[in-house]
Amino acid sequence: MNKFPIEIEKGLTTDEYILNMGPQHPSTHGVLRVVLKMDGEVVKDAIPDVGYIHTGLEKMFENRKYEQIIPYTDRTDYLSAVNNNLAYCLAVEKLLGIEVPERAKIMRVILCELNRIMSHLLWYSAYGLDMGALTPIIYAFREREEVIDLVESMTGGRLTHNALRIGGFKYDLPKDFIYKLKNFISHFNDRIDEYEALLINNVIFVNRTKDIGVLKKEIAISYGVTGPSLRGSDISYDLRKIEPYSGYEKFEFDVCTGKNGDTLDRCKVRMNEMRQSIRILEQAIDHLKDGDIMAKVPKVIKPAPGEIYCAVEGPRGETGVYIVSDGSEKPYRIKLRSPSFSNLSVLKEIVVGYKIADLVAIMGSLDLVIPEIDR
Amino acid sequence: MIKYIKNIITGIISLCEGLSVTLKHVFRKPITLQYPEQKPDLQLRYRGRLVMPVDPEKNDIRCTACMICAKVCPNHSILEIEKVIEDGKPKPKAKKYIYNLGTCMFCNLCVEACPFAAIIMSDEYALANEDKEKLILELVSEKYNLTGKKLNWWKSKFKDETINKEKVQK
Amino acid sequence: MELIKDILYNTDKILKDFYNWAYKLWSSFNLPFFILDIVFYLLITLAVAAFLVFNALFIIYYDRKVAAKFQVRYGPNRVGYKGILQTVADTIKLLIKEDINADKVDKIVFFLAPFLVFIPSFLVFLVIPFGKGLIPADLNIGILYVLAITGLSVLGILSAGWASNNKYSLIGGMRSAAQIISYEIPMVLVILSVLLLSGSLKMGDIINAQSSISKWFIFVQPIGFILFLIAGNAEINRAPFDLPEAESELVSGFITEYSAMKFAFFFLAEYTNLFLTSAIATTLFLGGWQGPFLPPFVWFIIKTYLVITLLMWFRWTFPRIRVDHLMEFSWKYLTPIAFVNLIATAILVKFI
Repeated sequence: MNKFPIEIEKGLTTDEYILNMGPQHPSTHGVLRVVLKMDGEVVKDAIPDVGYIHTGLEKMFENRKYEQIIPYTDRTDYLSAVNNNLAYCLAVEKLLGIEVPERAKIMRVILCELNRIMSHLLWYSAYGLDMGALTPIIYAFREREEVIDLVESMTGGRLTHNALRIGGFKYDLPKDFIYKLKNFISHFNDRIDEYEALLINNVIFVNRTKDIGVLKKEIAISYGVTGPSLRGSDISYDLRKIEPYSGYEKFEFDVCTGKNGDTLDRCKVRMNEMRQSIRILEQAIDHLKDGDIMAKVPKVIKPAPGEIYCAVEGPRGETGVYIVSDGSEKPYRIKLRSPSFSNLSVLKEIVVGYKIADLVAIMGSLDLVIPEIDR
Repeated sequence: MIKYIKNIITGIISLCEGLSVTLKHVFRKPITLQYPEQKPDLQLRYRGRLVMPVDPEKNDIRCTACMICAKVCPNHSILEIEKVIEDGKPKPKAKKYIYNLGTCMFCNLCVEACPFAAIIMSDEYALANEDKEKLILELVSEKYNLTGKKLNWWKSKFKDETINKEKVQK
Repeated sequence: MELIKDILYNTDKILKDFYNWAYKLWSSFNLPFFILDIVFYLLITLAVAAFLVFNALFIIYYDRKVAAKFQVRYGPNRVGYKGILQTVADTIKLLIKEDINADKVDKIVFFLAPFLVFIPSFLVFLVIPFGKGLIPADLNIGILYVLAITGLSVLGILSAGWASNNKYSLIGGMRSAAQIISYEIPMVLVILSVLLLSGSLKMGDIINAQSSISKWFIFVQPIGFILFLIAGNAEINRAPFDLPEAESELVSGFITEYSAMKFAFFFLAEYTNLFLTSAIATTLFLGGWQGPFLPPFVWFIIKTYLVITLLMWFRWTFPRIRVDHLMEFSWKYLTPIAFVNLIATAILVKFI
């Protein structure tokens, strides 16, 4: 078996060498292995090698009842569990033809946006570490802790919330949830300004990210890149606007886009998205009315035979679920569309010719979550 | 030349902004929780390990060994439920309730499925163990006593449900 | 009481008296004087070594506490009062750890590298003026000696990177060689402009030239001071210039393969270098040990730790510079500015 997926040209001796980055490397964020062909410090080729934490989730789903699958969807993209839950629940609800009550829809939006903030804050702190700044992680985690506490008070879980149920929610929001949420919103925008002053606007950071890893529009589209990585390349594609789900059509927010598609743009898009999430949360508090939180769902969930694809805009991009039902209690097949997988596959296109330090910066700006890639 | 100087000045300004942010934080209070001495204030709905508390009013567990929780568990963490047998007939009461903490993923589905609110996720969170065998727990003989706000929450849960049942019967 | 006061404030006189007394005593035995000289030098070396170790232990603790302050947390606070013994515990742990030698390393060079890194920083202490008369040897080429010796530490880092037989280590070693050599130039230029003002390479003369606060060279050379800090920080491979050991890129750079005692030596050298850079900055720009009321030694330590704190502040705020920007920064920004600074100083000295 060939040890490395790349081969060095034979013949004249060159000074190219192969560098194994990962599976245990501080900045591959998990167990991703990237095999690099290097010339000195310059990356000549990069091949991601995935599958180190393959858990066989999709196969596992075939042996679970529909309602039992929800906790497993938490564990794909564990940084934004609710978004995964939502994609799955929407798909099943569509199969069953259930209309979710209004209050549950707004609650779902609130949880999704809190999850988006959680995920982006973690990206920010980890990206700071990738860039060698050691302080942002502490500041961002301080606010992330507040968000986690909020979501925990609602669902009981800190990362794997298992928040949604098919048809709505099991439990209503706790009494002081809205008060705490308002409290959080009131100071979070200032904190984002602080983060930007600390890292994003720093001249060292700007020099390291500007015009680095430029992702061209055509390449981004042809690889199926989604989420902030795509919007950084000046493509205004956001499922919340284009195919609104779960009542997103009621909310006013901007789709943040970058201009050049370089690393800096991707970073700025994420920072601005947090501000937009705050806007959505503010509106959601106004929209939230008393009412039912659970639709009428049959006791045994047995969708009619058929298939469905449902996607939501997760923090990393289009999180999709494709279900084939054969009419039994268990799905015939479930396919997850994970945004990180498509985002990772574009790595080779944008990293060649840059230095190893840039590779870290570019890979960080794609915001990869490895369990989601391997599933 | 002008661009060169401009570069330097904007660079220095941006660096100073960063420095001022860290300097501001020197005067803020530390956010660390001194863990073993200071325990975190857990949320009411926090999902620790599964317990079968003793109902203080009946002084007994509420489980009827109906097996719904075992059926709903996604990864078969509730291994075995045995009913009390009196006079050769099974009674609606659990004698043995074996729960595998090692495979449990704290999804709360069993608790939600239970029609009698017999089980609940407790506040216990430091659950690591050196021995895998010790992770297989028997919940009935444990006679777990809930305390604090979790107890009140749990009580309110089954009171609500008994009221609901009465309503349905009427 | 009088004696203690003299020891604190007029150390040079006391030391001179002590030498004379010892020589007189020695001559009554009719033994050759070089033995006494050797004994004195050994004593001085021991004192410096003891200072170095305890100082490094404290700086590590101090660094962690300062980092904690900037990061709104507590820092070490379990071992000893407020965690003061934390670094002692860490050191003991490092000493009793298994010393792992990878199979394919170049054994001799791998073994020597930590010492090659550490010895230059130890040697520099020869010309550090801790206080009035408290200088192991006030060479008349003092600052030149510092520059010559600190340049040697690149050898150790490079050989550590090479001997580890690890690609990450090698990249780290190469980076460090490029970095240290290119930052030497702006540093030398800045020091030159200070020397123009002082008119001597001798540490004692440089300090004497700044006899009052208004004469401190930081006020004549503010740009020089900043340049010196930047270049000095780059010389000792600390963030934001920690490219040779860039954690997120090169795992741990040239110290990836090191463990236990050898790792401890790299650590010791790093923090000693931090102290040295700050000490030299103090001597060159902040008037050395001079100051009112407090004993000279205390003033020296206070000023040095102020500079250390400043460097730590930079460390915990800024992201890491990329390797080619580092070179660009040195050659396109630092060196020209240092040149302009030098010429301006020369004109200033000549005509005013």
